[in-house]
Amino acid sequence: MSKRDFKLACLPDGYSIIFNAMASPCEILIQSKDLSLVNKIAITLTQEIWRIEDKYNRYDKHSVCSLINNRAGQSVDIDEETYLLLNFAEQCYQLSEGLFDISSGVLRKAWFFDGSDNLPSNAKVFEALKLVGWRKIKFDQQQVTLADKMEIDFGGIGKEYAVDRAIILAKQITNEPVLVNLGGDLAVTRARLNNEAWHVAIERPSLDSKLTDTTKQDMIISLKQGALATSGDARRFLLKDGKRYGHILNAKTGWPIDNAPRSITVVAPQCIQAGILATLSLLQGMNAEKFLTEQEIKFWVRR
Amino acid sequence: MSNKVEKINIKAALTLATTTLLGCHNLAQAETAETDTWEFDTAFLVYSEVDRVNAGEAILNAKKTFDDDKILNLKLTVDALTGASANGAVAQPTVQTFTRPSGNGQYQIKAGDIPLDDTFHDTRVQFNGQWTQPIASNLTASGGVHISKEYDYLSLGVNGNFSVDFDRKNSTISAGFSYFQDTFTPEGGIPKPLASMLIGDSSAPTWDDEFIKTRIGTEDDKTTTDILLGFTQVINRRMLMQFNYSYSIVDGYLNDPFKVVSIVEGSNENNSGVTQDVIYESRPDSRVKQSIYAQSMYHFDSTVLDISYRYMWDDWKINSHTIDSRFRIPMGDSLGKESYLQPHFRFYQQSAADFYRPFLIDDNTLPTFVSADYRIGEMTAFTVGLKYGMLINNGNELAFRLEYYRQTSTDAGFNKFGALNDVELYPTIDAIIAQVTYSF
Repeated sequence: MSKRDFKLACLPDGYSIIFNAMASPCEILIQSKDLSLVNKIAITLTQEIWRIEDKYNRYDKHSVCSLINNRAGQSVDIDEETYLLLNFAEQCYQLSEGLFDISSGVLRKAWFFDGSDNLPSNAKVFEALKLVGWRKIKFDQQQVTLADKMEIDFGGIGKEYAVDRAIILAKQITNEPVLVNLGGDLAVTRARLNNEAWHVAIERPSLDSKLTDTTKQDMIISLKQGALATSGDARRFLLKDGKRYGHILNAKTGWPIDNAPRSITVVAPQCIQAGILATLSLLQGMNAEKFLTEQEIKFWVRR
Repeated sequence: MSNKVEKINIKAALTLATTTLLGCHNLAQAETAETDTWEFDTAFLVYSEVDRVNAGEAILNAKKTFDDDKILNLKLTVDALTGASANGAVAQPTVQTFTRPSGNGQYQIKAGDIPLDDTFHDTRVQFNGQWTQPIASNLTASGGVHISKEYDYLSLGVNGNFSVDFDRKNSTISAGFSYFQDTFTPEGGIPKPLASMLIGDSSAPTWDDEFIKTRIGTEDDKTTTDILLGFTQVINRRMLMQFNYSYSIVDGYLNDPFKVVSIVEGSNENNSGVTQDVIYESRPDSRVKQSIYAQSMYHFDSTVLDISYRYMWDDWKINSHTIDSRFRIPMGDSLGKESYLQPHFRFYQQSAADFYRPFLIDDNTLPTFVSADYRIGEMTAFTVGLKYGMLINNGNELAFRLEYYRQTSTDAGFNKFGALNDVELYPTIDAIIAQVTYSF
């Protein structure tokens, strides 16, 4: 399967559309045997998902994201979609009191979560942190301006946004049940026929902290409506003097959040909401479960 | 982020931000499966044998899924049965008279006809409740109760089952047991095995005293213990295989109180083949049954083929083969929304129990066990049918099933002679089955 191709697999009561996007294995499930409908869904949704990937992938030098980053220090014209995403990032920044910041990606220049004990020096973190700060970004409906050398990264919201956009398109095309799963962040258009739930297998990182441990056990979640997103990655961490440094970084200090869960899965009406709630709760560190409980949402925490 | 009020506002604020981003104004609430909804399946079935039994059956099945995939399933079945059933006696070239099982009155069978007892009518109410829940990550437990009541029959049962998933849920091993306690209270009591049916003037003053001599009590019971082992394997995305083994012990009263056996004159006598006596059947008081079962489901690009085979054998020396197959053909929206057609074919063949005799010969001593019930004789049966389903009313399934069933009893090597040469010994049953199901 080439990068921009999908394949169909037959299921007992529908089809699975399998493709790659956003560096993840992706799948669209449709509970219909109508092949022309299945093809229409496959083409429309994958085109939309790849469009969003092309537009906001910071690793793609032709993307809007790269354009904005490459011209840091200058104003860049933006379209309405980009404005809406920046506006959403702004809301998340405010709601998290600065813990969630789409300009914090440059901290990766200091941190390499390779399972080793190579912590960066304070000086190096401080150097990177100087380039972080949503407040230093100016934007309105027409333009965005980053401070010099700053970078933004839609990685924390892009995949979930693509799920939600695909669901909107699927609902416009058909009433048949559709599930969109982009690497574990997923949403459904409705319950399956006869009001049955979708059963979704979520990769559950082993509770064993050993890096070599590759046994994974799937967790099965039933979903009738809405979306589900997971934040965190148990395999990305540093370990020094018995202390574990997870890859969730505090955008304000430049250091990993203490006692952050390894990953959190959240159910919400929209995927992007689920994703942000999962990320915001990770940023609460040891208070993650308390935070989630207070939000009165369904969640699963792996520590 | 310092107090609870602010934190609760995060969700609301995010909803607003999401609405702005996605441009959708009425956001649906996320709903996971543990919502308080019941799913219902209803079915109405009519079974009609030509000139014999007619049955109507209504089924209501209610299923509720709770938190963590706990499932409660409740099922109520009501059957109504009327018509006539072969009583086991052979047809004769003359009119025959039989006493009703209750002892109240008699019925006559025309010359040449297979004797049918037309007092066959009953209403059965059956309830099943089943609770299933995961008890560890790959272990599911299930337990249930069964109550079935007819006018002259009560059945109580319990069952339990464990299943273990492994290989990323591609394989499942299950072990189950069930135990049933059944009580018969036939009107007129339990007939004495091998006793002659009393035939004569049922209004005579001595009738009741004579009739009671053919009885051994008012009720009797039996127990059934089943053990089932199963293995299910997902072969690949298209194919699933299942294998079962079952072991079943039935103890107690295993006779059918309504079945009799004719005793005829031997082939060298003057009235060769003519009935001299009619006795109540006598079966052993235990039966051990075993069966193996294999099923395979295969999904082609759009169609689904489901084939199964069962081999059953027991210590009554009955063995049977069952081949069952269904082929589901999606019709798209051509015959109704998401419609499908599903042809069905089933073939069944069984050998006779070692004590099965279509009749006994007068000069022989009576065997300990004997039955002329066609259901434990040698037979072949097949079913052909078609099911047609579609979705209506927002995804609820409506389906119709129409099937034809033919059962042919065959001669397991018993010689016919004299009067028996002129009559049919082995009945053929033709039946039509019609069913409507609706799920919502």
